[in-house]
Amino acid sequence: MLLHLLSRGEMYGYEILQEASRRSANAFDLKEGTVYPALHQLEKKGQIRSKWRTAENGRERKYYSLTPKGKKTAVEYEKQWQHLTGAIAAILESK
Amino acid sequence: MCTADELIHNIVNCSQIPSAKRRQEIQRELSAHIEDFVAVARQSGHEEHEIETLLLAHFGDPRQIAEGFSRVYRYERRRFLIFAYALSTVLLASSLLMGILAIQTGLAFGFGTSILKMLASKHTVIQALDILAFVAVYLGLTSLETLFGHYRFQKAALLLAAVVAVLTVSCSAMGFHIAFLLYGLITGVFFRAVRLFVPAEVARVGIVLVCFALAGFGFALLRSPVSLVELVATCASWLALGMGYLLMSRLAPRLDAALLNGLQGI
Repeated sequence: MLLHLLSRGEMYGYEILQEASRRSANAFDLKEGTVYPALHQLEKKGQIRSKWRTAENGRERKYYSLTPKGKKTAVEYEKQWQHLTGAIAAILESK
Repeated sequence: MCTADELIHNIVNCSQIPSAKRRQEIQRELSAHIEDFVAVARQSGHEEHEIETLLLAHFGDPRQIAEGFSRVYRYERRRFLIFAYALSTVLLASSLLMGILAIQTGLAFGFGTSILKMLASKHTVIQALDILAFVAVYLGLTSLETLFGHYRFQKAALLLAAVVAVLTVSCSAMGFHIAFLLYGLITGVFFRAVRLFVPAEVARVGIVLVCFALAGFGFALLRSPVSLVELVATCASWLALGMGYLLMSRLAPRLDAALLNGLQGI
């Protein structure tokens, strides 16, 4: 999910959570602090990179963006997820 | 905001991340997040005390977040601990060796033995390896004890004994004789047991004096024929060794902890 959210452009932690909440119509109520270890894990795996820069509000924020490896993984995960949800939908719709 | 500072402090301190730079960056990132959260909450018309409650409710359990960071940086932490252990061992063993050699040089001088002959002998190399093995085992024991809840010393000693056994067998198979490891294991376990199970310092000194005097006496007799002066010199040398080890068993955990704290601050 984090990779997919970042596939639309670089974001910082708070922004990612706001975006996840907005796109899911508040269905995702993640504990905010737990997103940071996940981001650091992805960065260690080379899926995302980060850099500090000034945000629109004039404050310094740590922005995360996808690496080429992360972009590839995001596409793969999306395909897997669509395949899975399609299969579940097919089971639910079958009579 | 005091609550926010406490929250970040708890997370960063419990995360066990070895690098100070990394901890500072996480602190900065979490502070930035809380800054955004508070700004949005204020815009929404919440009072300060409400914001603190909201923050705690939304941010999540600090221990869980710290555990998350701890998992992410576990390999860095392991590498750091191994480095700190190796550095502590070398530094403490070098200090101990210098101290013991200084005492033994004094004894050699007193007994009229050639100092150059004593220092340049194979015995000095063996002694250096023995001391290195002792410090490595002693610090290994104190480190391993923290992994266990009950019977910590016994479990740590068994684990180290297994490691030494595997190393000894492997090295023997390759043609290397590493008797100093076995010596290190015996002395390390002995001094740790004395430190843990003998409460009075006087009793500890007494036990070490008796054991090392006997060991010196035994080793001197192995080199028979031996003169009385050689016998006394060997016993005195062993006593100096024993006292050095006892002093090290007292200082090693403190020096190791100080070094670890110092390295974590870098």
